[in-house]
Amino acid sequence: MNGRPENRVEKIVADLLRGRRLKLRGGDAEEKAAITAAARLAGARQGPQRMQPAFRKRLAQSLEHAPSEGWITRRSALVAGIGLAAGAAGGVLLGRTAGPEPVKASETIEPVDGRWIDVGAANDLVEGQGKRVVAGGIGAYLFRRGDQVTAVSSICSHLPCELWWDGAGGHLACPCHPAKFMSDGRPTDPYALPTLNKVHVRVTPSGRVEVLGTA
Amino acid sequence: MTPDERASEPADVVELPAASRATDIALDELEIVYAFIYARVGNRADAEDLTQQVAMKAIPRLRQGAPASAIRGYLFATARSVLGGFWSTRLGLSEAELHEDLALALPTSPPSEESADTVQQILAHLSDNYRRVLELRFLHGYSLKEVAAEMNSTVGAIKVMQLRALRAAAKVRPLE
Repeated sequence: MNGRPENRVEKIVADLLRGRRLKLRGGDAEEKAAITAAARLAGARQGPQRMQPAFRKRLAQSLEHAPSEGWITRRSALVAGIGLAAGAAGGVLLGRTAGPEPVKASETIEPVDGRWIDVGAANDLVEGQGKRVVAGGIGAYLFRRGDQVTAVSSICSHLPCELWWDGAGGHLACPCHPAKFMSDGRPTDPYALPTLNKVHVRVTPSGRVEVLGTA
Repeated sequence: MTPDERASEPADVVELPAASRATDIALDELEIVYAFIYARVGNRADAEDLTQQVAMKAIPRLRQGAPASAIRGYLFATARSVLGGFWSTRLGLSEAELHEDLALALPTSPPSEESADTVQQILAHLSDNYRRVLELRFLHGYSLKEVAAEMNSTVGAIKVMQLRALRAAAKVRPLE
């Protein structure tokens, strides 16, 4: 019975003792006290930790090169054409990207030669639940409220990772970093991350949902 | 070990050609931040991600070339914020809910002494059985089965005891 709290916490403890990343899921909040205590005990068991040389080197390179090379901006721009949150790395990183002007965060994606792609029936969307769809080269999460359907990009505005819908939490979560977004694309945490890019979406008279995607 | 032998070992700290003084200071401070974060998330991968986030947020401040003492407070405040975000995201809670009963306070003792002291303070407040199960599991690395054998109990009972001991440990407020 994995549903029992002692089994679930033991799984988390065993992962921690094996040096694995904390992988939590909906429902774990019930045992937040036990889980954070386990993390502290696991963190203390080998005494104070120092950075691994490889990580320290990466960090040094980030510190040395981020302002001049804008690696985060470039990576984000490559995937979603968005800038980096001022709060995440400071304004010094902005405006360094060469080439086409990146789409600013929270702007709506306007694909060149975009075309409307049928992604399903509006009635199939469960109110309050995000549904991931793909319209050619554009991934989006759809949300329905009454007759209205909205869509945001499925790519995190921080790092180029595919968001996932956390139904229990009612938000979009990034698998790469602790970042999450509401259905309107606004971040829920205090990182001052950019809002997710919006995606054009419409409902046809016959109740079909179409997303402005690519061929 | 002779000095020569020691010198031939791989360097613990990577040499950084052309690294600026500001970067050197930042890295030294971020070592302390890393230890602080590691002691709270208990694993290297998450600690590295969060330390990287702290560093990225702090770049503008670090680049001003401020002395270490001036940036330490800023880094730790940032680390606390990042940790709060980490737990609230992973647990699916708002930060307000998270802070209801989780302490994320800054340590007053040097981080080098913090972890061991904190654990001892936590364990000292627990009943004998709870302390024993956590000591065996976390400090001695016993498996559940080994703990059960050591404590003349069953794996199932030890699992329940471990959960209760962790809940109790979370209620202990070590001096931070």
